[in-house]
Amino acid sequence: MNPAIGYAAIVAVALVSVLIGFYGLRISRTTSDFYVASRTVPPWWNASAIGGEYLSAASFLGIAGLILLTGSSAMWFPIGYTAGYLMLLLFVAAPLRRSGAYTIPDFTEARLESATVRRVTSVLVIVIGWLYIVPQLQGAALTVRITTGLPSWVGSVAVAALVAIVVAAGGMRAITFVQAFQFWLKLAAIAIPVVALLLVTGAIEPELPPAQAFPAADGPGGLDLYRTVSLMVALLLGTLGLPHVLVRFYTNPDGPTARRTTVIVLVLLSVFYAFPTLFGLFGRAFAPDLANAGDADALVLVLPDRLVPGVWGDLLTALVIGGAFAAFLSTSSGLVVSVAGVISQDLLGGSVRGFRIAAFASTAVPLLVAFLTEPAGLAGSVGLVFAFTAATLCPVLLLGIWWRGLTARGAVAGMATGAVLSGAAILGGALVTTSAPAFRAVVEQPAAWSVPIAVLVTVLVSRADRRRMPRGTDAFLARLHLPERDRG
Amino acid sequence: MTGEPPADPPPRVRVTAPRAGAASARPSAPTRAGARGAASPHDAPGDVQSVYVRSLIRSQLRLGLICAAGFAITTAAFVIAVALVPALDEAFVAGVPASWLLLGFGVYPLAITVAVLYVRAAARNEARYRSLAEDR
Repeated sequence: MNPAIGYAAIVAVALVSVLIGFYGLRISRTTSDFYVASRTVPPWWNASAIGGEYLSAASFLGIAGLILLTGSSAMWFPIGYTAGYLMLLLFVAAPLRRSGAYTIPDFTEARLESATVRRVTSVLVIVIGWLYIVPQLQGAALTVRITTGLPSWVGSVAVAALVAIVVAAGGMRAITFVQAFQFWLKLAAIAIPVVALLLVTGAIEPELPPAQAFPAADGPGGLDLYRTVSLMVALLLGTLGLPHVLVRFYTNPDGPTARRTTVIVLVLLSVFYAFPTLFGLFGRAFAPDLANAGDADALVLVLPDRLVPGVWGDLLTALVIGGAFAAFLSTSSGLVVSVAGVISQDLLGGSVRGFRIAAFASTAVPLLVAFLTEPAGLAGSVGLVFAFTAATLCPVLLLGIWWRGLTARGAVAGMATGAVLSGAAILGGALVTTSAPAFRAVVEQPAAWSVPIAVLVTVLVSRADRRRMPRGTDAFLARLHLPERDRG
Repeated sequence: MTGEPPADPPPRVRVTAPRAGAASARPSAPTRAGARGAASPHDAPGDVQSVYVRSLIRSQLRLGLICAAGFAITTAAFVIAVALVPALDEAFVAGVPASWLLLGFGVYPLAITVAVLYVRAAARNEARYRSLAEDR
């Protein structure tokens, strides 16, 4: 692959992102602007921005790689990533918008009238944000290594630095513009190469005959029931708790707009995920040699150059590199905005200057972690973050919105249980898989048991603690669920 | 969110009660008010109001759960059907087995359909609440 193409694409995306970021800076002035763009973003913009923020390295590179590697079971990842927004629509979107809080800790504190709950939620939001940024940086490292031949760390450092600068300079309004732009860039960057491949592959003989490229054992018939169900629980419910997604809902003007935005997101994601899925299918037929754990994630970057000859191949490669880079930039900056928002409000007094300091801090830590850990498959490591979120923030959020009986102690107990269980599953996974292979699926996909246990603990502790139900519960719930113009 | 014994505070019991049939929110509000003996028309308007609010929350939750269950059941049925028909593994469309294509692209339309139906029904619930609150 020609390194000049890699450099050009990466520099172009970085420049455009920074320019749009600074353009946004001229409009954003007050603290409220900084955090939630003054709630004046129309649904299409907002939905594009949510899509832009959400489609990460796992979506852009990881899904195609995993389909190549493991077959049709990987198709559950994009299904879950998308259907998570259905759950968000059904249970969270409108009430959360009406809560009027900026961040998840704001929400839990207002709902449960407890500073302790706020602190616990803040810690979880920060941990989840950091965990989620790490695979983005590793994806950037992979992209830079494959496309330019530079050492891996250059990619991680470049993405981290850019994100910190753009976020600290512009805040959320800037990020809304950047994110919306990034969604359409990512869609074009993966759709155009797929269309080109569709046109070209008619004339090329596949490396493998169809029956070998798509064996029935790797197909839908080889469904592993426990793993699939558990993955779906993690992805569907994990989406509800992702901090960078939730913060977006505060930028809708009212509850019905929040619902409309969510439906548009669902449509945008459904369109987008058709393309990585097709890429994966192409990979199985035309690039079976990449089907090993180290190379599979690079499939999207490598395939256009292999199948499309000459200048067109170079241009398509530049496009996918740009799209991949946009994916790392946008997801990381969305996460940094929400993590920095939490850090600055809780530790640094909520000032604009505090937000800037927090933005730098919250890119530095994941960068360190990315250096210290071995990169695993992108889709898989993001899946684990979803499982962690589903077992920690999701029960509190759902019960807080729909159940009067939730108390502060119940919430803390549930979050702690979820964190300990999923943390143990993630950290202990390597030990168990070697010593007790029978438990492998149970540990690798913990959501099916960790989420129900966390919900159960939350409910039981809340019931035992019934007398301490917050006094304002009924008023707060009314505010969450009443249509806007009927509020007292 | 689990099935609770009747010792629960009243609002929770209704949430998981067997009356999962569709548009039953409207009659339930006045009945409940009467049953508690708390909200005759001469009482403070706040009480009636709060009964309406709880009724709205219940009907929205019921709607959400019905939609979620509907999506889960149709998806499971669809996927099991795809997995159990071996002919779909043999039928190649453009070199790819039909079963792979169905799994890869078939679930998204289901999700979008449920989402659109939900948004309409949720807005209807809110409109119903409004008309109740204004009737008063």
